Amino acid sequence: MAEQEENSMIGYDPLAWMHEAEEEESPTRSAPLSAALPDDSAIFDDDMADAGVETEPGAALNAADLQPSADAETTGRIILEPLQNIQTVSQLHQQLRCMLDSCNKIDIDASAVSQIDTATLQLLLVLKLTAVKLRKEVNIDFPSEKFMEAADLLGVSEMLSVDQAVSGFF
Amino acid sequence: MTSRIVAVLNQKGGVGKTTTTVNLAHALARMGKKITVIDFDPQSHLAVALGVVSKQQTGIDEIMLGHATFTQQQIPVRENLNLIVAGPRLQEIEQLRESGSHRGDLLRKALAPGTDDRDLIFIDCPPSSGILVANALFAAEELLVPMTSDYLALQGLSHLMGTIKKFEAVLNKKYRLQIVMSRYIPTRRLSKDVVSTLKKYFPQQILATPVRETAALAECPSFGKTVFEYRPGWRSAKDFEALAGDFLAGRMM
Ligand SMILES: Nc1ncnc2c1ncn2[C@@H]1O[C@H](COP(=O)(O)OP(=O)(O)OP(=O)(O)O)[C@@H](O)[C@H]1O
Ligand SMILES: [Mg+2]
Repeated sequence: MAEQEENSMIGYDPLAWMHEAEEEESPTRSAPLSAALPDDSAIFDDDMADAGVETEPGAALNAADLQPSADAETTGRIILEPLQNIQTVSQLHQQLRCMLDSCNKIDIDASAVSQIDTATLQLLLVLKLTAVKLRKEVNIDFPSEKFMEAADLLGVSEMLSVDQAVSGFF
Repeated sequence: MTSRIVAVLNQKGGVGKTTTTVNLAHALARMGKKITVIDFDPQSHLAVALGVVSKQQTGIDEIMLGHATFTQQQIPVRENLNLIVAGPRLQEIEQLRESGSHRGDLLRKALAPGTDDRDLIFIDCPPSSGILVANALFAAEELLVPMTSDYLALQGLSHLMGTIKKFEAVLNKKYRLQIVMSRYIPTRRLSKDVVSTLKKYFPQQILATPVRETAALAECPSFGKTVFEYRPGWRSAKDFEALAGDFLAGRMM
């Protein structure tokens, strides 16, 4: 797909993902938690709502004119809570694991993060690396200043490919 | 009447954003359209290219900071063509670091009132993808992306498209995106391959006339002249005239 015809002067086609992104028409998966936690999935469901697993990417942004996106159909989305620490990390781990099983692409909205610990950053890093192995995609979108600071401090912002272009605007 | 707000953007440097803004805007103004161009780059190249060099002059900076209005800050620079300069504080805005505030929304708010008598507003973006470009993406409905026809430009475009798609998702809008082939070297085979690659991903989105690389276009900024003043009737003036026609009629490759 990324390769061009033989006599083209262009080898690897960096835009190929645009067509591939259109082709993957898998329906939205919010994490199917029952599979991971058969025993008390009902309780977990409530917790999950608190933790902000959403199919609407605009939900954590407070500008009134920000609306859910049209491509919410194809990807798993998760919105990080303001406080990410050792208390929340295992729950986040569960959610991400389920999403990784069921989605080809996970978008993580980090715009609301005001505090994030190393455990959570490590989790995100492992997620990112695992996703690469599974040929899946994980994006960390709109990271807040605090998120960026923490990632920079740990020296993982590059590995997390935290997108400078859309960081800190919200 | 509402004006079309067009951000001329590409985070890659030197691809022809400013050259396209100046000459396309002047071509359209010569056709009778009422145009305002905004120098949204602290380097102020757009103002220089139009012959405005005052460093003290305030512009879009003070509008975004809420100290001036769009109407006040316009400088008539040619018939039908107004300029809003960057202003000395645009740099500061780029470095604003108060988290929590909606820094991305300053330009959109600045342009909300007073733009109605203009047909088109062009925002000449800086070669970065920081807060200024975010502001331009908030404010604009249309994007005009100048592209050179080399491999790294494709790479850069891929990155730009990723950013644009994220903004579309969050702002829940779909930009009208047009590409203009700039600094085009028709004799190079790579140029044609880049164009045919682009056509695959952007059908009906590449303006029909490529702007060719010429000495005249490289020279005119130093005289503060557009190509229509510096070399009227020459090849590059004709390229931009044709491009303006394409832009208005929606003529694509
Ligand atoms: N078609 C062309 N033919 C010849 N020279 C050109 C052409 N287009 C642009 N240039 C020259 O290339 C240089 C970069 O162009 P320009 O300033 O328009 O790009 P830019 O994208 O605005 O750059 P920046 O990213 O720094 O804002 C300038 O010196 C300009 O005069
Ligand atoms: Mg420029």
